[in-house]
Amino acid sequence: MAIHKIEVLVENEPGVLARVAGLFARRLYNIDSLSVGPTENSTISKMIIEVSVEGHSLEQVIAQLDKLINVISIEEILDGAVSNSKHDTQPDYQN
Amino acid sequence: MAHIPTANGTAMTGASSLVKSLEAANVDVMFGIPGGAILPAYDPIYDSTIRHILVRHEQGAGHAATGYAQVTGRAGVCIATSGPGATNLVTPLADAAMDSVPVVAITGQVPSLAIGTDAFQEADIRGITMPFTKHNFLVTNPDDIPRVIAEAFHIATSGRPGPVLVDIAKDALQKQTTFDWPTSVNLAGYKPQIYPNKSAINDAAVLIAQSAKPVFYVGGGVIKANASRELLELAQLLGAPVVTTLMARGAFPDSHPQHLGMPGMHGTVAAVTALQKADLLITLGARFDDRVTGKLSTFAQNAKIVHADIDPAEIGKNRYADVAVIGDLRETMTALIPALAAVLAKGRTDLSPWIDSMNKLRATYPLGYDTPADGALSPQLVIERLGKICGPDTIFTAGVGQHQMWAAQFISYEKPRTWLNSGGAGTMGYGVPAAMGAKVGAPDTTVWAIDGDGCFQMTNQELVTCALNNIPIKVAIINNESLGMVRQWQTLFYDSRYSNTSLESKRIPNFPMLAESMGCVGLSCESPDDVDATIEKAMSINDQPVVVDFRVHRDAMVWPMVAAGTSNDEIMIARATAPDWDSQEL
Repeated sequence: MAIHKIEVLVENEPGVLARVAGLFARRLYNIDSLSVGPTENSTISKMIIEVSVEGHSLEQVIAQLDKLINVISIEEILDGAVSNSKHDTQPDYQN
Repeated sequence: MAHIPTANGTAMTGASSLVKSLEAANVDVMFGIPGGAILPAYDPIYDSTIRHILVRHEQGAGHAATGYAQVTGRAGVCIATSGPGATNLVTPLADAAMDSVPVVAITGQVPSLAIGTDAFQEADIRGITMPFTKHNFLVTNPDDIPRVIAEAFHIATSGRPGPVLVDIAKDALQKQTTFDWPTSVNLAGYKPQIYPNKSAINDAAVLIAQSAKPVFYVGGGVIKANASRELLELAQLLGAPVVTTLMARGAFPDSHPQHLGMPGMHGTVAAVTALQKADLLITLGARFDDRVTGKLSTFAQNAKIVHADIDPAEIGKNRYADVAVIGDLRETMTALIPALAAVLAKGRTDLSPWIDSMNKLRATYPLGYDTPADGALSPQLVIERLGKICGPDTIFTAGVGQHQMWAAQFISYEKPRTWLNSGGAGTMGYGVPAAMGAKVGAPDTTVWAIDGDGCFQMTNQELVTCALNNIPIKVAIINNESLGMVRQWQTLFYDSRYSNTSLESKRIPNFPMLAESMGCVGLSCESPDDVDATIEKAMSINDQPVVVDFRVHRDAMVWPMVAAGTSNDEIMIARATAPDWDSQEL
């Protein structure tokens, strides 16, 4: 299972961490690690998230994150060990 | 944002600033109920030009806002107090999120110093609604109110539309502030792409021109983008078959010869098969929902995908897209039409064998139903006659279940925004309050709610609101005294063990009496011979809401059907009856 590291710039507002964490939880994306810190701009915070992708593509995780209004930008941090994401579909299910 | 009724810089309370902001956002009507935390706002509402419709349950306010928005294309507005008032909006907000409807909900919150203390009527409505609002706000500083309201309307109505909730602490409504309506909205993290990428348009045009078996897979996004005219032009340019999903009924005329009907779990054989056998799906504002694809791994296995949508997160979510076109669908099709025409001018693929085989399938397997031998009333007959008698200008809403599927199947939709239903969330009880909102948005148009007896008993209290506020909707209760769709599944998959699906609604309640008690005209119809006369009677009454209790037999089932979790290839046209594939050349 591929682990990706992404850098997410967010507006420094109450509830933003809950929005990001809630998105990961409700779409069953796995957070391996998450850290939040300030940037030189006090209105913007930086999140570093390690996400393990299983049954979802990294593109999909990023696209869903980008829909959060408080998320300004997302970048994948490539450090050699990270594999490129591939297109994937969700497994079949019945309901 | 052109109309600013009050000069910027005027001193007033937060509550007045809220109402002035709503006026500045061109709100003409809102649906709501006052209560303690929102009460400061109701004082300036008393003097406002905005029409406030006092509903009987906040859920009704939310669905009414949704119905209003789906008919007008503008944001629908609902307003409620803190705690239970706010939580009663949860279902309609979730509903609006699933169907991408622009709704702005305003809720009162307990005073900011009381937030987090489990105060009386405190609920973390911002936390609760995070998963199914496009965005939400908690306002504790009255100076923020105009900016937040401007942002809320901008977010709700632009890009992929959706619900936005604004929760305002009571003290923020009470404090003094200055009204300062912003001249523009600037959100660093929100810039929806409107204009499609040119190379994506060209790639799409090339792929479309190469296809021998293309199908237009049309979703509700076409209606949201007001792009029906462009769709007609694009579809006629190529000549390929068109299918319209449950959310897209009316986006393309049902009477058009290229239209194969609705795909999906209860779609036509021709529409379902066209998707399955196509070599290219031209996907326009649709999202490969499980109710359309059936078992995903067996869906349209030989098809390439052109996926046009305003929401980048829909690309590749359920199905890989060979060509993705991000943008407003009207802009996308406006660009695609000349691009495709240019490619087609160099040479066309002959689509006629494909079109002929789909037309043959449509002729062989039309929608139909059995008439009961004992002369009992068929639900499908009632719905079919409603469509025929009331005509293509009528707006129909539905609840959720069998009656909803029959209303999608047996009424011919010719125009966008004439079919309103709860597609994604499947919210029983949507029909009556949505019809109320639709009628407020289109007061000169006939609005029928086609409802089930189960759905009707969830939200019919809004008929009181309709009767008192001159909102003369018409309601057709398809009374099969059952939770019909659940009962159908019990018949098919649970050995006809009817656990808790019998509502006994032919005994209790007496629907016409209930309607009369709420200030409506109550009618009843039990015989096929009386259907037309009853509908005509209802159509002749325009000064009061009308409720017709159509007492239909309970064993009718919705066909065709692709059972949940199975492949579209396993579509059944009746119980244990598959189409005769051997006689078809596909």
